[in-house]
Amino acid sequence: MDKTQVVTVRGLRKAYGNRVVVDGLDLDVPAGEIVGLIGANGAGKTTTVECIQGLRKPDAGTLRVLGYDPVTQAEELRPLIGSQLQDSALPDRLRVAEAVGLFSTARARDGGDLLERFGLAQRRRSAFASLSGGERQRLFLVLALLNRPRLVILDELTQGLDPAARRNVWAAVRQLHDEGTTVLLVTHEIDEAEVLCGRVVAMREGRVLDAGAPADLVDRHAGTATIRFSLPDAPALLLDQVRRLDGVREVERAGARVTVRGARPVIAHVGAVLVGWGPVPADLSVHVPTLEDALLGLLDGADVGDEGAEYRELVGGRR
Amino acid sequence: MNTAAGRLIRAELKLMTRDPLVLTFVFAFPIVTMLIIGGAFGTKPTPGFDNTNPAHWYVASYLTVVIAAVGLVMLPVHLASYRERGVLRRFAAAGFGRWSFAVAQLVVGLITTVVACTLLLAVAAPVYGLPALHDGWRVAVALAFGAVGFVSLGVLLGTLLPSARSAQAVGLLLFFPSFLLGAGGPPPHVMGSVVRHIAGPLPLTLLTNAVRGPWLGLGPATGSLVGLVLLSVAFTAVAARRAVL
Repeated sequence: MDKTQVVTVRGLRKAYGNRVVVDGLDLDVPAGEIVGLIGANGAGKTTTVECIQGLRKPDAGTLRVLGYDPVTQAEELRPLIGSQLQDSALPDRLRVAEAVGLFSTARARDGGDLLERFGLAQRRRSAFASLSGGERQRLFLVLALLNRPRLVILDELTQGLDPAARRNVWAAVRQLHDEGTTVLLVTHEIDEAEVLCGRVVAMREGRVLDAGAPADLVDRHAGTATIRFSLPDAPALLLDQVRRLDGVREVERAGARVTVRGARPVIAHVGAVLVGWGPVPADLSVHVPTLEDALLGLLDGADVGDEGAEYRELVGGRR
Repeated sequence: MNTAAGRLIRAELKLMTRDPLVLTFVFAFPIVTMLIIGGAFGTKPTPGFDNTNPAHWYVASYLTVVIAAVGLVMLPVHLASYRERGVLRRFAAAGFGRWSFAVAQLVVGLITTVVACTLLLAVAAPVYGLPALHDGWRVAVALAFGAVGFVSLGVLLGTLLPSARSAQAVGLLLFFPSFLLGAGGPPPHVMGSVVRHIAGPLPLTLLTNAVRGPWLGLGPATGSLVGLVLLSVAFTAVAARRAVL
């Protein structure tokens, strides 16, 4: 095994009855990186990480995680992984400090420090049932980090959190990365993946659609920047000048409204032309593609079926 | 003791003291019903109670009610709730040993049983007096196998039933007929022959017979003891496989 790879998965397949959930998936997670598994609900992300943790037995494929085989060496492997699972809980009456005690092994770091760092020090005596959604997620993060894990798996980490709580949790994950911890982040929140991950793996129907740095995915699947402005008496000469700029793919005019589409450097060129021409239009706007646009482009390029519709609905709700 | 099983046992014992279901059903219910039914038949030995003091007959029977309450009500609800809410998955993912949870449940179930039985005897002693033990070893063996067997049955039910609600429904459905027919209900002589035949092979009836006979000097109840031991071994073997994380 390549020692720089913490997780190596080849040809992973898992079906529940007749429904194939993961189908021939390959995945690499290099040491010290934050890798995001992204895709709509039902893409097979959670099943993949459950196989990586040895919580589910794959039907086919090979997995090496921290040098162990999760199928045959789960007992040795699991203590080395810190995981925050989707849809799991603690006993309602278990208090925060007791949970830390329960999950602390001989390798554990100071639980008090972690509680302090994640803003739970004041809730040490509170029962799990009395914690808010954000506090529960932060407690799960504390438990995931408690035993100095070499790999941290975070599954839908910020689901149900308010924006402020999400940003607190993101800051904590970035801090993990700064400390050199390898993180596998499972999410359908594309902005979360874009903010946190050095590399993302886009999944659909149990298969990898594409993988790479978020910026690379954006370039490959949503490389077009859009510039809009109004110029009521724009002469044809100006529009011709814009059309001839390097990287411009399309110029549209509808009344006074002008829309220019092209590669990202076009933003600077169009800006320069407008500044040279005269007063810069007050309604000038620029849309730079995001990872979300890239994923939509990726789904458009594939036979996306119901899942594409589901994903569009998912991201459409936030737009 | 910083093993996963040790940490689980400590946490589970703390949680138990905060659980109203355990406090009422395992600790209070057997004591209250023993006081009621023990007083209903008086203290004069009668043939219907094999010529023993009826109150003593019930004191010797009610330890097994505690054991059944732990095995048929407390543990199934507790475990099914853990499974339903993903608590067991969290334990497994955190690297708790494969057997740690099963061992912890066995130990916690047995500790609960011992504490609840001690309380029951402490209440019975000043009210009805404690019947003399005729064959203490046989009683101890029966109680030990009964406790392990019912705790295992509880663990098994908790791993088989899909939710805490279904575990509570099934647990109570098993508990009350067993309780009424085999331990704390009316004496066998007032039951019809059909009911007695139904009651005979029930696990709680076997356990109660195996405890009450040698305790009150009514006979060794060897058949019941053998049946109990076989059931206990079977329940434990199956439960151990099902409760692995």
